[in-house]
Amino acid sequence: MASMEKRLQKELQALTKDPPKGVRVSPDGTCRTLSEWIVDLDGAPGTLYEGEHFQLQFKFSSRYPFDSPQVTFIGTNIPLHPHVYSNGHICLSILTEDWSPALSVQSVCLSIISMLSSCTEKKRPPDNSFYVKTCSKNPKKTRWWYHDDSV
Amino acid sequence: MSASNETQGAEGGADEPPQPDNTFYECNICFDTAKDPIVSMCGHLFCWPCLHRWLETRPNRQVCPVCKAGIGKEKVIPIYGRGSTNQQDPREKLPPRPQGQRSEPETQGGFPGFGFSDGGFHMSFGIGAFPFGIFASTFNFNDGRPGPPEAGSPQHTEEMFLSKVFLWVAILFIFWLLVA
Ligand SMILES: [Zn+2]
Ligand SMILES: [Zn+2]
Repeated sequence: MASMEKRLQKELQALTKDPPKGVRVSPDGTCRTLSEWIVDLDGAPGTLYEGEHFQLQFKFSSRYPFDSPQVTFIGTNIPLHPHVYSNGHICLSILTEDWSPALSVQSVCLSIISMLSSCTEKKRPPDNSFYVKTCSKNPKKTRWWYHDDSV
Repeated sequence: MSASNETQGAEGGADEPPQPDNTFYECNICFDTAKDPIVSMCGHLFCWPCLHRWLETRPNRQVCPVCKAGIGKEKVIPIYGRGSTNQQDPREKLPPRPQGQRSEPETQGGFPGFGFSDGGFHMSFGIGAFPFGIFASTFNFNDGRPGPPEAGSPQHTEEMFLSKVFLWVAILFIFWLLVA
C-alpha cells in the first residue's frame, strides 16, 4: 500500500506542477483520496475533437503500478470514437494486457489523446449497444479484442 | 512514459550534472531513487524488488516495463555505487538480487574463495537459498515494503543466520568433494 501511495503522490505532484498540453488534474473530485482521480482532457487542436472537453476517471488498486488503473470517460461528454463505448469504457490495450508499471497517469492520458487524435470518423464501436447492456461496471473485467490498434 | 521523465529531468537545468536524487537515477517502476539497483540488458534501471515483483506478476511474459525487450532474473546486472554503505552480499537480500557475473581471472590453482567457479558450489548454494528467497519475497511484498529488512531487526538477524548456515553447508560440501 505504501509504495502505491508514494508513487501516486509523486505522479500527482508532477502532473499538477507540469502537466502536458491538454491534460489537467481536475480540482473537483480528485485527491479526497489518492486512489481515485479525475483528469480533464482537451481534444487536440486540428483533430475531430478540437474544442471538446472530456473527463477521465482513474481508479487505482493497492497493487498499482503493477496492476493497471481502471480508466473510463465520465461526465456528460463521452467522446464519439470507435474505441470508446457510450458508457465511457475505452478499448485500449495498454489499459489491460499491455499495461506496464513504467506507464503513468500522464502517459495514459497522452495515449488516449493520441487515440482520439488519429480518429478519422466519429462513431461508436459497432457492438456498442450490446456491450453497454451486458458489460461489467469495471472495464478491466472485459475481455477486449484489440481489433485495430491503428485507430 | 518517456515524456514524464524528460519534462522532469529538464527542470534541474541542462548544465547541471545529474544529482543523486535526480529522476535520471529513478527506478522506472516506483519512480523513486533506485534501491538495490539493477540494470537490464536493454539499459533500463530498476530497484531489484520492483522488477522482481513485476516479473512475478507476469511470469509467462517477462518483458522490460519500459521497452518490452525480453528480461529475466539472469539477464540483469546489479549496480554497486562507491558510496553504498551496505556491501552486503545481494544473495542475502530479500528478494534475492541476482549476482553480478564474475569473470574468472587468469590465475590457476589455490582456493580463490567465493569466486570459486565450481558447478557444485553454485548448485548447492542455490538449492539452499532458493526456498528461503521465495518465502521471504512473498512476505516482503504482502506488506508492501519493497526494501530488505532493516539491519538489526530480528528478521534481519535471522536471515543473516540462515544465509550463513547455507553458506557453511555449501563450503563443507565443497570441502568434502575436494577431500573425497
Ligand atoms: Zn523501484
Ligand atoms: Zn528496456
